[in-house]
This record gives sequence, structure tokens and C-alpha cells, in this order.
Amino acid sequence: MTVPRLVPPALIACGVVVLGAVPLFTSSRSLLTWGFLILLYIALAQSWNLLGGFGGQVNLGHAAFFGLGALVTRMLWLKGVPLVLALLAGTAGASLAGLIVGAPSLRLHGPYFAIGTLAVAEILRITAGNVFPEVSTLPARALAGYHLAPRYYLALGAALLTMLAAWRFGRSRFGYGLAAVREDEAVAEASGVHAFRHKLLAFVVSSALAGLTGGVFGFYHVSFYPQFAFSPLWTFDALLITFLGGVGALWGPPLGAAFFLMLREALAFRLLEVHVLIFGILFIIIVLAFPGGLVEGWRTLARRGY
Amino acid sequence: MTSIHVQNAVFGLLIGGLYGLGAVGLSLVFGVLTMLNVAHGELIMLGGYVSIWLFTLWRLDPFVSVLVAGPALFIVGAGLFWVLFRRLIHFTEEHKIKNSILIGFGLALVLQTLAILAWEADERAVTPSYAGEVLALGGVVVPLSRLAALVLAFVVLGGLHLFLTHTRQGTAIRATAEDEQGAALAGIPIGRVYLIAFGLGSALAGVAGALVSVSEAISPAIGLHWTLKALIVIVLGGMGNIFGTFVAGVFLGVVESMSGFLFGNAYREVVGLAIFLIVLSARPQGLFARS
Amino acid sequence: MSGDRQRLLAAEGLTKTFGGLRAVIDVSFTVAEGEILGLVGPNGSGKTTVLNLIAGALRTDAGRVRLAGRDITRLPPSTRTRLGIARTFQLVRPLRNLSAADNVLVARLYGRERADFSAARSDSLRLLDLVGLRGKAQMLATRLTLTERKRLEIARALATQPIVLLLDEPLSGLNPTEVDTALSLLRTIRKVGITLVIVEHNVRAVRALCDRVVVLNSGRRVVEGTPGEALSRPEVIEVYLGTRSARAGFDA
Repeated sequence: MTVPRLVPPALIACGVVVLGAVPLFTSSRSLLTWGFLILLYIALAQSWNLLGGFGGQVNLGHAAFFGLGALVTRMLWLKGVPLVLALLAGTAGASLAGLIVGAPSLRLHGPYFAIGTLAVAEILRITAGNVFPEVSTLPARALAGYHLAPRYYLALGAALLTMLAAWRFGRSRFGYGLAAVREDEAVAEASGVHAFRHKLLAFVVSSALAGLTGGVFGFYHVSFYPQFAFSPLWTFDALLITFLGGVGALWGPPLGAAFFLMLREALAFRLLEVHVLIFGILFIIIVLAFPGGLVEGWRTLARRGY
Repeated sequence: MTSIHVQNAVFGLLIGGLYGLGAVGLSLVFGVLTMLNVAHGELIMLGGYVSIWLFTLWRLDPFVSVLVAGPALFIVGAGLFWVLFRRLIHFTEEHKIKNSILIGFGLALVLQTLAILAWEADERAVTPSYAGEVLALGGVVVPLSRLAALVLAFVVLGGLHLFLTHTRQGTAIRATAEDEQGAALAGIPIGRVYLIAFGLGSALAGVAGALVSVSEAISPAIGLHWTLKALIVIVLGGMGNIFGTFVAGVFLGVVESMSGFLFGNAYREVVGLAIFLIVLSARPQGLFARS
Repeated sequence: MSGDRQRLLAAEGLTKTFGGLRAVIDVSFTVAEGEILGLVGPNGSGKTTVLNLIAGALRTDAGRVRLAGRDITRLPPSTRTRLGIARTFQLVRPLRNLSAADNVLVARLYGRERADFSAARSDSLRLLDLVGLRGKAQMLATRLTLTERKRLEIARALATQPIVLLLDEPLSGLNPTEVDTALSLLRTIRKVGITLVIVEHNVRAVRALCDRVVVLNSGRRVVEGTPGEALSRPEVIEVYLGTRSARAGFDA
């Protein structure tokens, strides 16, 4: 019994060490970029999964929190604020926004939360475009000292942090309470679980980590329009990756992110639009026909195999 | 000074009528099927392209294109229902809402991308000969084509009201919205009612889109904008009341127009959001709730 | 505080209106510690609504709910659970995609007395054992039969370590053997010192189990007393039963 129980933590530790060693052994831009992207997308999707998967609340405005993190972090960083503080500020801004949006909309049932978050994200996107119409490019000084490795490590940190949060969400007392809320709020309440507080805390953690991930993106990208970080495509990618891998499953987002990026690479010989089209159709098919995603498929195969 | 406010109110009224028309189809579908199709705005976008297409090909007047856009989108909607949304019918209410939102979210992306592939990402508009004509009423200018679009929107909603209250199909739709199980027991073919309601909701989006093309630019990206307007209008106006929805649309249009003047155009959207969140907070039981 | 033993739970002038419908009108009663109180009445008399008002699932329009003298009228259901009011639902509602054991575990983790995980886990299994579900502990709740779900519901409620347990038709849908098992389970629960409030249609069971009954009709309290005296009052027989066959069940 003891050996199998120790295997997964040991494997995870090895995995983290390997991931952490990657920049020491290669300076290949394409490999590091690929690693950065996969970690960024794991963090993005897992942060959505915390609320959407573990909590069952469909947030269609995830991009808003990613965008806020990116915007705040990048602006402060370019103004000379130390990067760590800028990242913290972006994270704090996103969590505050989560609190402001979540408090009214999470009290409601039915479609309100989804449409409320969708509306907030679109309004923030438009406002960001209005207030910051100019493209944000790194100044020459920053460009000269631009290295991928620190970006990679930050993305690794964000991915590990979201994975850790998801692990806690699956195991802790809070996680059990949140699962009860996802299944049936009235029964959760009758069991002593304060449904609203659980949903709100999950939402704030989810948006905080989305903000942190956005901050890493803001630090990574050489040049982008601030509005781009608020694009609904970020929300869609988070949903697609989570559903691909498995909603509410700890290993769903990493599996989904790997599959998503490989598929995107494979489709990249075509125009941007074509892969969006294929991903849209794929997403609908998963929601309708394979709601468990890859993780569930894996489990089914394993069950049949033994 | 006051005439500027009146002018803003008039513009708000004119666009607000389209907000109302755009929302009615979404409200109808939600009321009957308990499904929220967040790709509704993309259907409005497609209606707009029907009008642009017909105008570019045959110089067909956009007001005539309405007669094509409605039926065309009815077929699109019925097809979407049959292929996608039909599979959600037997879910519990909560899962029906959640999954319809997810599917609509994916569908919005698909339709938007298809539109980019078909018509490029640029903005387009129809430019009939009477495009610039206005009615001047003591310092206040009323663009004629927009006025005609508002009147037509009102006529379509009146027609919808008559259909729902005075025909067999309409009665079946209302009965299903009221009490699905009771309607089924009374021998109403629920599956067909769903199909027709979804088609009808999409047709209303098509008509709205064609009317939008009269005064606003059409591009593949406008869908989300119109979905949000429709959602805000429905939250404001409540469910299942056609004229309530229309009035809420007009209200939103006027408020946006006035606030655009007061705070600058960049923030007119924010006012709609603020109203939306205030209504959500003030009516926590929700305006969607059917008693 | 010694008087509180007689008034462990008190409903004081509860009133609830749905739209135009007055579901509960000025209903008052008290429950003594260790007692089994039956809430009876015809369909639509407001029994379940009263239960929901006590549990906090519904907010009362007027009146108060007190637990051991403390006013809990404005508290949310989860807080009431943590203070010691547990409930079951008329239509059983398990947490569908959680195992039977996890259904109970959540309640144990969040109930009246905190427990760490290992204690909570062993408590949950003991409760599943008590209701005869030990063998199904790892099964998803969706895959349990209706009677199993009813028993799971009771295990979940007990896991919150309640002072008062509200049961909404715990016997409905059970066959006579299962009813006997359930009755002995309820007596066991009472023996551990848990006070019970039961909404139940099965008159025979009410007579056998309850110390006292409160009869409701059209949202109002009609009569209160021991089952023997209250249920044989002519006004109760008239409002509640009316028909001959039901009266036969009553006299049994």
C-alpha cells in the first residue's frame, strides 16, 4: 500500500524538477516559448476550473480578470515598480474585481452569474480599448534585457500555484463544501455549508489566479493592445482546455492544455480563423457528447483495462 | 441646450427600439425552452449580412430584405435547434440553462469565424438612396430610415403578439412556456413547439439584424454586443412580456444616448452595465424568474 | 434556563405568503427537549412550509423561531444547521455525484461540532452503518435506490450532530417492512437524545411514534395534544380526514 501511495507525489516532484531544469539545459527559443505557453494555458484554464469545475459556476468573463492582471502588472512594471509588486498589484486588482462582480451575481440562480460575468468582461474590454487605445510596446531598455527564462519560471510558478489551489479544492474541508454547493445548494446549506460564502471565495481565488496569470502574460508579451488581454478568446480558451481535459478534475487543465497547444500547432498552417472554427465545433461536441473530457476517457479506459 | 437633450433622446429611442426587437427573440426562446442562447447576437449579425448581401447583389431595399432575413434565420434557428439544442431537452432545468449557455458560447465563436471567412472582418453597411434623408421637427432631426426601422420593429412585435394570442401555434407556445408538462398532457406536441419557438426567436433576430443594417455597420464581431444588449434588456424588462421588453429596450437606448452625451461616448456602454448590475442586486429573486 | 427544556424549539406566530396564497398563518408551538413532535394535516395545510421556516430554507414574513431561547429567525439555513437544527427533504436530494460516504462527510465536517478529517471519516462510516448503508459507502449517490437515498438523507442529517432533527415525510414510499425498520431507527435516534419534529402522513406511524402532534389545516394550527386525544377530536377528523376509509385508518 505504501509504495503506490508514494509514487504520485514522487512523480510530481520529479516533474516539477524537470520542468524547472528545462531553461538550464536549453536556450532554444521555440522550446522555451512552447513551455511558457503550455504553463500559461494550464494556469489560465485551472484558474477557471477552480470556480467553473469545482464550484459549478460558469464564468463567461474570465478574460476580464486575466486582462486586469495583465494591464495593471504591465503598466506598473513599465513605470518602474518592481516586478513582484506589480504582479501582486495585478493579482489584487483582479481579486477585488471578482469580489465586486461576484457579490451581487452569485446570490442569483439560473443564468445570471454567466450573463453577469459575460457583460462585465465585455464592458471592461471596451473600456480598456477606450482608455488605452495605444499599443503597449516594451521600451528599448527592456527589450535589450529581454530573456525568456524568467518568463518561463513565472509561468511555471503560476501553473504550480493554480495546480496547488485545485489540489486543495479537491481535498480540503472547503473543497468538500464547494462540491456540495455545486451539487445542490439547498442540501449544502442543510449540511451546514454557507453556499454563498463558498462560491464567493472560490470566485475570488479564481479571479486572483487569473489576474496573476494575466500579469505573467503582461510581462511576457513584447507588444500588444491592452484590449487584446480582455478578448473573450481568453475565456473561450480556458473553457475549451478545461472541457477538453475534464471539468472539475485536477489533471483536466494540464491534459487539455497539452492537447490544445498540439492541435493548434498542427492547424497553424492555415489561417487563424480556421483553428478557431475547429475549436468552436470541438467545444460544442465535448459539451454535448463527452462531458467528462480526456480525464474521464482515460479513467474509462483504465477501468476496462484492469 | 434642451434641444440637444431631445435630440439625444430621439436617437436613443430609435436605437432602443432595435434593442427591444433584438431581445424579444432571446426572451421567447428562454421562456419556452429554458435555454439561453448566448449566440443570439450572432444570429442578428447573420440577419444583417442577409440584408447587405441582397443589397450588394440586387440593390434590394433593406426593408424588403426583412422578408428574406426572417425566414432565412428561421431555418437557421430550427436547424441549430435540431442539431444542437434538442439534445438538452431532457436535462434538469439547471443543466439545461448551463449547457445551453456553454453551447451558445461555442456557437457564437463558430458563427463569428464563419462570417469572417465568408465576408472578411471589415465593417459593411447598406447605402440606399434615401439614407441621408431626415425629418426636421423644430431643431430636432429624425433620420427617416431609422424612424421607419423603429416603426417596422413595432409592427413586427405587434404581429408577434397577435400570433401568440390568436393562433393555435401561438397558443401552444404560450401554454408550453406556462406549464410544459400540462401542455404535453393536453396533447400539444412539445418537440414541435420547441422547434418553432427556437426558429421564431431566431427569425426575430434575423429581422432585427436586417433593420440594424439600415442604420448601423455590420461586421462579424458585432454579435456579442447585441447579445449583451438583449440580456440587459431582458433583465430590465422581465420575461415573457413582449411590450415590456420593447419598453425596456427603448429605455436602455435613451439612457445610453443621454449618458453618452454626459460622460462621453467611451462610457455609454458602462452605464448599461451599471443598470444591469443594479437591477441584479435590487431584485435578487431575479427578473427571469417565472412565478 | 431550566424552562428552556420545555421550549427547546419554539415557533412563534409564523406566517408565510406565496404571491397571494397564505400558506402558513400565525402558527405557534413549542417542542420540548427529547420529544417527538408530529406535524400533521391534509395536503397543502402548510406542514412542509413550517418545516422550511424552522430550517431557514424560507424566510418567515412574521413571527419568530427560537432555539433554546435564542432568536434564529434571521439566520441562514447553514448557520441554523451549525447551531443544531438538521433536516431531511421530502423529495430526497442526495449530492448526486458524490459517494454516499462523502455525502455524510460534508455534513460531519460542517455540522455543529467540528471534527478533523480522520474523525469525520470514521464517524461518517459509523452513521452509514447505523442506517444500513455501510456496504454502499463508496457508491455514487445517484446509483442508490430510493429507500437507500432516504436512509442516506437521515445519515447526512445525523452527521451534523443535531439537537433537533426535522424530518419531512421520512416514511413515504416505504413498504411495511421498511416502515418498521425506519420506526426503530427513529426511536434509536431519540434515545441518543435528539429531539424530533416529523411531518408525516402515515397516521399509524404517527400514533406509534409521536409524543405530541400539532394539526394544521389551511395554514393554521387547529389542535395540539397527544396523538390519542388530538387525532380523535371531531374537528380534526372533519378537516383532516372526512372520508370513511381514512377514518378507519385513524381508529386503528
